[in-house]
Amino acid sequence: MTEALATPSPRRGFNWVRFLEAYALVFALVLLGAVFGALRPESFLSWANISTMLGSQAVLVVLTMALIIPLTAGDFDLSVASMLTLSAMIIAVLNAQMGYSLLVSMIVAVAVGVVLGIVNAWFILYFRIPSLIVTLGTGTFVNGIVLWMSGSMTISGLDDALTEWVVVRRVAGIPLAFYYAVALCAVIWYFFGYTTPGRRLLFVGRGREVARLSGIRVDRVRLFSLITSSVLAAGAGIMYAGTIGAADPLSGLTFLLPGFAASFLGATSISPGRFNPWGSLVAVYFLVIGITGLTILGIQTFVQNLFYGGGLVLAVALSQLVRKREAQDFT
Amino acid sequence: MSLYRTMLLSLAGGAAALLATASANAATPDIEGAKKLIEAHSALPSFVPPGEPFDAKKCMKGKKLLTIPVSSANPFTKNIATAMIAVGKQIGFEVKEWENQAQPTQWVQGMEFAINNHFDAIDLLGGVNPQVLGPQIAQAKKAGIKIYTSHLYDTIQKPDPSVDLSMQVAYHDVGTILASWATLKTNGKVNAVIVGSDEIIPTAPFVKGITDGLKTICGPDCKFTYINAPVPEWSTKIKTGVQSALIADPTINYIIPIYDSMSQFVIPALTITGRKDVKIATFNGTPFVIDEIQKGKVEMDVGESLGWIARSVLDGYMRDMCGLKTYSALYVPFYLFDSSNAKNAGTPADFDRGYGDQHVAGYEKLWMLK
Repeated sequence: MTEALATPSPRRGFNWVRFLEAYALVFALVLLGAVFGALRPESFLSWANISTMLGSQAVLVVLTMALIIPLTAGDFDLSVASMLTLSAMIIAVLNAQMGYSLLVSMIVAVAVGVVLGIVNAWFILYFRIPSLIVTLGTGTFVNGIVLWMSGSMTISGLDDALTEWVVVRRVAGIPLAFYYAVALCAVIWYFFGYTTPGRRLLFVGRGREVARLSGIRVDRVRLFSLITSSVLAAGAGIMYAGTIGAADPLSGLTFLLPGFAASFLGATSISPGRFNPWGSLVAVYFLVIGITGLTILGIQTFVQNLFYGGGLVLAVALSQLVRKREAQDFT
Repeated sequence: MSLYRTMLLSLAGGAAALLATASANAATPDIEGAKKLIEAHSALPSFVPPGEPFDAKKCMKGKKLLTIPVSSANPFTKNIATAMIAVGKQIGFEVKEWENQAQPTQWVQGMEFAINNHFDAIDLLGGVNPQVLGPQIAQAKKAGIKIYTSHLYDTIQKPDPSVDLSMQVAYHDVGTILASWATLKTNGKVNAVIVGSDEIIPTAPFVKGITDGLKTICGPDCKFTYINAPVPEWSTKIKTGVQSALIADPTINYIIPIYDSMSQFVIPALTITGRKDVKIATFNGTPFVIDEIQKGKVEMDVGESLGWIARSVLDGYMRDMCGLKTYSALYVPFYLFDSSNAKNAGTPADFDRGYGDQHVAGYEKLWMLK
């Protein structure tokens, strides 16, 4: 007995399968970068290209973060892209047309994000309507508001300070937008992994009834996740307005599907089976490297769609092979 | 014949001068020819009657026209439709807009509305492709309704045979203007990125106008690359495409987004790559782009007066509906906005400002309203 206690427990071997699964997308990203770098070293591997790639897709990273919070709690928020567009338009109307300061305009945009989150949560939680239906409806409603308030027009003339603080100012040659996105990933990673509310969010997503019986106030957690999602989407809208220096009523809506693609692709990486911020970040830049490389090579535009769609399905399928095709539960 | 001659003179006087110069002197770059064309389109447009006068009030009495814009959420087509309604009211006949948000099913509903409510003609405005409305067009024609399209085909394109009359735009001439502008400003050393959307019907002749212009006016030392960005993907493809092109070739000095609303995605590409030396020249005269000219972010925009378009469209249609000889080349002058005159469009810029108002009185006289 004493001997047995004294014997150190056999150390578990390094789990290569898990490691490969967690970092397959990272390897694919590096491989893809290496292939394009070998084909066009002078342009693809230039720091100008790398910094441009990192800075220009920060809006998509933030919007993906807005998606993974309710997804972790088991809710879909289809209104995030509409909130992004509304937020950018609020800033354009208040700042460029009505002359309010940038700060006031941004506060109003974020406040409207809080309101939309509460409205979504009220319909989902009080009426017990699936989140997919509610957010589809509220998103469409918000699109109508954006068209109305903009008169279907693109509004430019935003305070240059916004562009300055989003894409013009740089650290190590990379626009600040990238650092905002990475900082947000770090905050969400800490929140998910090391805080009680973050763990509660995960429990609620894994099993609402079990979470409720464990004493977690499920509705309150879901309310929080939906408000956070809309607020982050409003933040993505502020960054989008800062990136293009204007706001238009439609283009922001095109971020919705790439956002979902990055969320699901990200859930196969770093912490497989869970929506996670670093996985999503890797997923966004995996897609961006592919698209940029194809563009630099002068490949026709339809190939980009093949890459986006094919990349998502193939990556998830490969991840499933590594997991020996066990059923996936992303919530 | 005189009608066409008049229109040709008014639309492309500068182009003729350029061709004459080009044929006389085949040497490139043809800076002098480019300069003449640019000067011709920099002067405020003057109204030249595109046909014989007729009593519009009398012959249009009791007639009804339904206009289906490609989207009522698109300010370009919406404002043309609004101007057509106002002009129709002034003449004394009904012009109704079928409000929609670019969904073909909504266009189908509009066609059925026109058939059920006994309209005399239907106008497919600014991008509604008659090919997606085949059954409805056949039904409408059976009911004696005329089918027109406006601001859709280039003058060198053949419209769909189901259409009775198309008011076509000389997009390829705009291409020549853009090529001349870049040639003039770079002194014959253009390296341009052209951004287009291939699924839009006039894109092919428009882009050909630019590339032919770069070959014949600018010459063999000038280069271009082309990026195709379908409309739903403007926000994702234009920025990344332009960024990548600028990084792949640092000698690029012009970006030519063929539709000016694309500029909002080109400007951030220049900002993020730090290439403020690269110029943007474009087409449409959309207000926010003219604002960007005032701020120095866009160099030039070829504009069209929407009020002028609306009147020319109605002029062509009314002639056809009244059984008069009509024409198919839309009479709308192309007018250049740059830093010297962008303020004339207002601050912030407005649709239909800065082009002068000769067309208003000109058409009133042509239609015998005064």
